[in-house]
Amino acid sequence: MLESLQHLFAGFGVATTTVNLTYCLIGAIVGTLVGVLPGLGPIAGIALLIPATFGLSPTTALIMLAGIYYGAMYGGSTTSILLNVPGETASVITCIDGYRMAQKGRAGAALAICAIGSFIAGTLAIFGMVFLAPPLAEAALAFGPAEYFSLMVCGFVVLSNVTGGSIVKSLMMAVVGLIIGTVGLDPVTGDARFTFGTTYLLGGIEFVAVAIGLFGIGEILSNVGKPQAALDQSVTVPRLKELYPSLQDLKQSIGAILRGAGIGFGVGLVPGPAPVIATYASYMVEKKTSRHPETFGHGAVEGVAGPEAANNAACQSAFIPLFVLGIPFAPPTAILLGALLIHGVVPGPMMISEHPEVFWGVIASMYIGNFILLLLNLPFVPLFANILRIPKRVLLPLVMVFCITGMYTVNNSIPDIWVMLLFGVIGYTMRIGGFEGAPLLLALVLGPKLEVAFRQALMISHGDFGVFLSRPISAFFLAATFLFLCVPLVRAAARRWQARANPA
Amino acid sequence: MNPQGREAIGGIILFLFGGATLALSLGMPIGNFRAAGTGLFPMILGILLMTLSGLFLAGLVAAKRKSPSAPPAVPAEPPFGRQWAMFMGATVLAVALFGTLGFPLTVFLLMALLLRSLGMRKWGGVALLSLATALSAYVLFVKILKIPLPAGLPGL
Repeated sequence: MLESLQHLFAGFGVATTTVNLTYCLIGAIVGTLVGVLPGLGPIAGIALLIPATFGLSPTTALIMLAGIYYGAMYGGSTTSILLNVPGETASVITCIDGYRMAQKGRAGAALAICAIGSFIAGTLAIFGMVFLAPPLAEAALAFGPAEYFSLMVCGFVVLSNVTGGSIVKSLMMAVVGLIIGTVGLDPVTGDARFTFGTTYLLGGIEFVAVAIGLFGIGEILSNVGKPQAALDQSVTVPRLKELYPSLQDLKQSIGAILRGAGIGFGVGLVPGPAPVIATYASYMVEKKTSRHPETFGHGAVEGVAGPEAANNAACQSAFIPLFVLGIPFAPPTAILLGALLIHGVVPGPMMISEHPEVFWGVIASMYIGNFILLLLNLPFVPLFANILRIPKRVLLPLVMVFCITGMYTVNNSIPDIWVMLLFGVIGYTMRIGGFEGAPLLLALVLGPKLEVAFRQALMISHGDFGVFLSRPISAFFLAATFLFLCVPLVRAAARRWQARANPA
Repeated sequence: MNPQGREAIGGIILFLFGGATLALSLGMPIGNFRAAGTGLFPMILGILLMTLSGLFLAGLVAAKRKSPSAPPAVPAEPPFGRQWAMFMGATVLAVALFGTLGFPLTVFLLMALLLRSLGMRKWGGVALLSLATALSAYVLFVKILKIPLPAGLPGL
């Protein structure tokens, strides 16, 4: 432990040089901007700016790129809260309560809680990284296809409880997302599926197009049909002192932030889109443990604090498998791996001994970066909240322009914009029918990985389904899934029994 | 249409979507669990979606029988109206012309059409807002972020 602390202090020495501090600041600012713009998520942001790091040392380059990563994660939450447009996947869950808070004139409080929660969680996660990285990385190695499959199935069922509506409807949406995820090349055999002879569909349906379509365009379209008087209205933004969270908000949030940080840190270590799973799991835990679960979905501050903390902690701990194993478990860390290789640093078990300045310097810079994000974002809360003063008649076309531009920039593809518009109409139609978009989106991200894990597990076990129950970690996740499925049914039965017992 | 009716239509669409997935996947190699073919996973998903939507529809029927005047379970959304159609029409037109007109002109056209479709009557205001948006978007995306956006015929 002492040795780790010594290394961390040395890392702070590296991270606090003028050059590294400057690039950390640039990374955090650019990341926040990238995250705020719908469609331009951390992946596009890091990819666009890798060429700008060619002249820098590996440590400085990675400090800047990591800054873009967690800056974008924070920025993505801003648009979720203000416009119901998730800047990136992990912010989808923030839309649920964050946007409702904004609609009630509490956008400032939601944004400030995001910044504070992200800072606390990020700080805790960094200390976790320092002390737990080596043993936890070994534990993550115990995940095989069966465990991975069971974890994702558990994720779907957890998510189906999240949205607060009918569990069957949520599961249906998750299955639709999985089906959409099968479009394109078979991940095992490479055969084309559901492409109908087009080359465009060979790469699958662009996830960002579905995300912006279902949430951003769907929200725009549901507002467009409203009467003229509603379009002239803007959300009331309170006075400056009311923009920040009250003591009561902070008291309510602190538990959620700490729980979110723990969940996010743990989930960040396992394969998959960690921030997405972490945010959903945190939301679920908060809803289950809350004394007022009925407030979730209607602007509960814990529904913003927990997932945002989980998101940030998961982003940080996702660096452990990248650095220690050399395996990126999510697309943004995969791009960071590419950047490391370009700079001649090969991540893996030898990285700590061969490039200690990179490893510990980046870890220390994350702490500094989180502090910079807090300093940057808290003063800008009133500025961001003022976006809501713009009447919807003007705001809706502006959001549409940014959605279309953001969508195009992902792959420089106009067909992606058509897909986004199609999913916008689907999203609006789903709202009319009372169907949630979040389960569909998560299933779309996890679908291909779920299928590969399912097929690999069965291949290894020669077609024996017992493999999912005979492996302890997998059995644990399946048991948790079963519990999550049964608890609502038992509760409903108990309510019916109570109603019969007390008819008055 | 009442909310239950909308939910029922949604359930039927999903049932048909599951059926279509199943039918299409049967045209692919299925294999077996030891060596799954391309169509196995979509086939399982198609069956699962049909089962879930079947359960959902059965639940709706049972709820209707139990209490015919049950309160609406889904929020009322505004219907597809003339304004909605104009807004979508303007968006579709702008996207169709994106490659030809280039980024700044498309943004200008899109903003102008959308503002008009949402009932902004003064042409001066529409033109000013559209121009300001097109210019800011051009400076931000093309000049500052250096994102390659369609230049179109004007070559901007």
